[in-house]
Amino acid sequence: MSEQPLERFSYDDKIVRWFMVATLVWGIVGFLVGLIIALQLMAPNLNFGPLLTFGRLRPLHTNAVIFAFAGNAIFTGAYYSIQRLLKARLFNDTLSWIHFWGWQAIIVSAALTLPLGFTTGKEYAELEWPIDIAIALIWVVFAINLFGTIAKRRERHIYVAIWFYIASILAVAVLHIFNSLELPASFLKSYSAYAGVQDAFMQWWYGHNAVAFFLTTPFLGLMYYFLPKAADRPVFSYKLSILHFWSLVFIYIWAGPHHLHYTALPEWASTLGMLFSVMLWMPSWGGMINGLLTLRGAWHKVRQDPVLKFFVVAVTFYGMSTFEGPLLSIKGVNALSHYTDWTIAHVHAGALGWVGFMCFGMIYWLLPRLYQNDLWSPKLANIHFWLGTVGILLYIVSIYAAGLTQGLMWRAIDDAGRLQYPDFVETVTILMPMYGVRVLGGLLYITGALLCAVNYIKTAQGAPETYEVPVYEAPALAPQPAPPGSTFPPLSPAKLLGGRWHRNWEGLPLVFTVWTLIAIAVASLFEIIPTFLIESNVPTIASVKPYRPLELYGRDIYVREGCYNCHSQMVRPLIAETERYGEYSKPGEFVYDHPFQWGSRRIGPDLHRVGGKYPHLWHLQHMEKPSEVTPKSIMPAYPHLLADPIDFAAIPGRVGVMVTLGAFDEATAPKAEAMAHEQADLIAAQLAEQMHPDDAAKREETTQRYRDKEIVALIAYLQRLGTDIKADVGAGGGQ
Amino acid sequence: MSLQEIMSQADLAFYPQVALVIFAAVFVVISARLLASSKRAAAYEEAAEMPLQELAPTGRPGKEPA
Repeated sequence: MSEQPLERFSYDDKIVRWFMVATLVWGIVGFLVGLIIALQLMAPNLNFGPLLTFGRLRPLHTNAVIFAFAGNAIFTGAYYSIQRLLKARLFNDTLSWIHFWGWQAIIVSAALTLPLGFTTGKEYAELEWPIDIAIALIWVVFAINLFGTIAKRRERHIYVAIWFYIASILAVAVLHIFNSLELPASFLKSYSAYAGVQDAFMQWWYGHNAVAFFLTTPFLGLMYYFLPKAADRPVFSYKLSILHFWSLVFIYIWAGPHHLHYTALPEWASTLGMLFSVMLWMPSWGGMINGLLTLRGAWHKVRQDPVLKFFVVAVTFYGMSTFEGPLLSIKGVNALSHYTDWTIAHVHAGALGWVGFMCFGMIYWLLPRLYQNDLWSPKLANIHFWLGTVGILLYIVSIYAAGLTQGLMWRAIDDAGRLQYPDFVETVTILMPMYGVRVLGGLLYITGALLCAVNYIKTAQGAPETYEVPVYEAPALAPQPAPPGSTFPPLSPAKLLGGRWHRNWEGLPLVFTVWTLIAIAVASLFEIIPTFLIESNVPTIASVKPYRPLELYGRDIYVREGCYNCHSQMVRPLIAETERYGEYSKPGEFVYDHPFQWGSRRIGPDLHRVGGKYPHLWHLQHMEKPSEVTPKSIMPAYPHLLADPIDFAAIPGRVGVMVTLGAFDEATAPKAEAMAHEQADLIAAQLAEQMHPDDAAKREETTQRYRDKEIVALIAYLQRLGTDIKADVGAGGGQ
Repeated sequence: MSLQEIMSQADLAFYPQVALVIFAAVFVVISARLLASSKRAAAYEEAAEMPLQELAPTGRPGKEPA
């Protein structure tokens, strides 16, 4: 082998420092928003509308902790580790900074748009289309930087951590692009290209794989690097890492439908989701085993080192969550847990335990190295660890209790065969003590994070005025010798499929990347193609018609206010549900729902059959002050809906998009604005009749007051919900 | 006939079952080859050491403002 000349280079740690600061700042912001919404559930007066209601803040919390906190942590760890594992500086410094500032700009735009009500109404994909495009662009920048670094590497073999980064980048790109396919109606308003059942499927294909490829695989990558570094031990079994990597990447994709058990999703998809979710336990535990057993011979270090404490607990929570997840994916278990706080407890065990603690462990390990100063207080880091751990335990135990309580109360049937707890609000108020313990747990966790911030600031303050930038020497990669008779040296069949096939693939990053993409794409298409192509999945119901223009506007208000964060629109074919809510929801009822709004929580009751259940006046009073109508309701008040005018001029544009999507009749579309006025006048008149049955002058005044207010649009939508299946085939609808 | 109609009427249920068997077989074979191989053990051990074998700095370091 020819001697390659030594090249001198240094690593870019400045970008890592900046990403790490961003991680901690946004983490604290995200946790605080979480604390606020936890308090709002206990004290609805803390919903300062319209901008700061639970429905608008909850997506801010989820986006902040997933994309701002975990996202910046991924970039911190990936950029630190790949340079050292590949013995190469990051591909391009300018790209690194575009990546950094671009990502922070996206976060700021989310922080502004979400409280203002600009939302797509799809969980963890709420950001509207211009921001979606920005995310795709910055993600491409990240990919170029990462793959470019791989291309100029001086270490041929690509360590397991980097396989996980590659898989994450590919999968997130595919998921984001295909789930975010939406048609804009205006600068910050769009409608999902998919409807109903198909939108639900796409959403949870995305949603679960966001967990998989944003919150799991990148953090497994970080684990495979930082845990061996912190323990000074090699990973337990490289073979296991190969096996569990490929299994994980292929199997995870199918798991999405476990979010949709007993819904209108076709049963075959639900079953597939369940089976693959159960199988997923194995590759996930492969990761956990590899992580924990890496500490063989180093357990004594855990006692002294806060970093290892964080990592051990993180990996343990990973193991627990990836055992619980498959259990929750079993239909029978899911029948109890779906829509309850059990899901929330599960999420937070994984998010606070696995993701959060991996971040903090990594931060504490990196701090002295990046700031070239001793960690200011290892003792404080230890205190953070204990506060965080106790905080997590208080959170999850209380919310497990809440979830089980809700689930059991909802399905409880008395001896006479009736619902034991017919008043939904009873199943809410009983949870308050548990919600209180959750707030305490969250407070402890946040306090821990604040201690981390203190440690961070103090350590950074003691950093030298100028950092040393170590210089390294390593030879460039020798060019690959061509096998005899081969035209394209690196890609001969012998190399791809021969004895050391995985080692060779690791040295052929492009091939590796392509196979990962194939695994993800094939797994996705096996579920997506039948969902879209097979008509029997969504049987047509002749009486279901498109939303009328005013109802569509009202639906937009429902999405804007984030009602889906508390209310579901999916009655499952279970006795306790049909008793409580009415006829179970059929797939054909949702064909015009762009986006679907089935929801994943019932902090309030299901609304799919609310149409016609209450008079208009009930809805008006309920929106104005829910606790006046339902004592002890924790729903926020929406008095602004009674005062804010409908933007009738926006209706034709929105209806136009619906025409394009096949959800409104083209011939009728020119009359959309007039139809909206007509329906608004009617509802306002009916409201007035209900309010003042004996006073004609007051009725006229009331009609005039409400005929152009948002509340009548929302009432129009709510009164339409779930009524089409009882309508005559020829009547109703947006015709 | 639309694509939806064609796909609905084609008897496709057999194919996923075949795919499942193929997938299971490939998985088992790959796992067996991977886990049984003792020849490549040294190579895997070497790979596992990579995070612990980082380059040591050489010579005079550069400087960068904080």
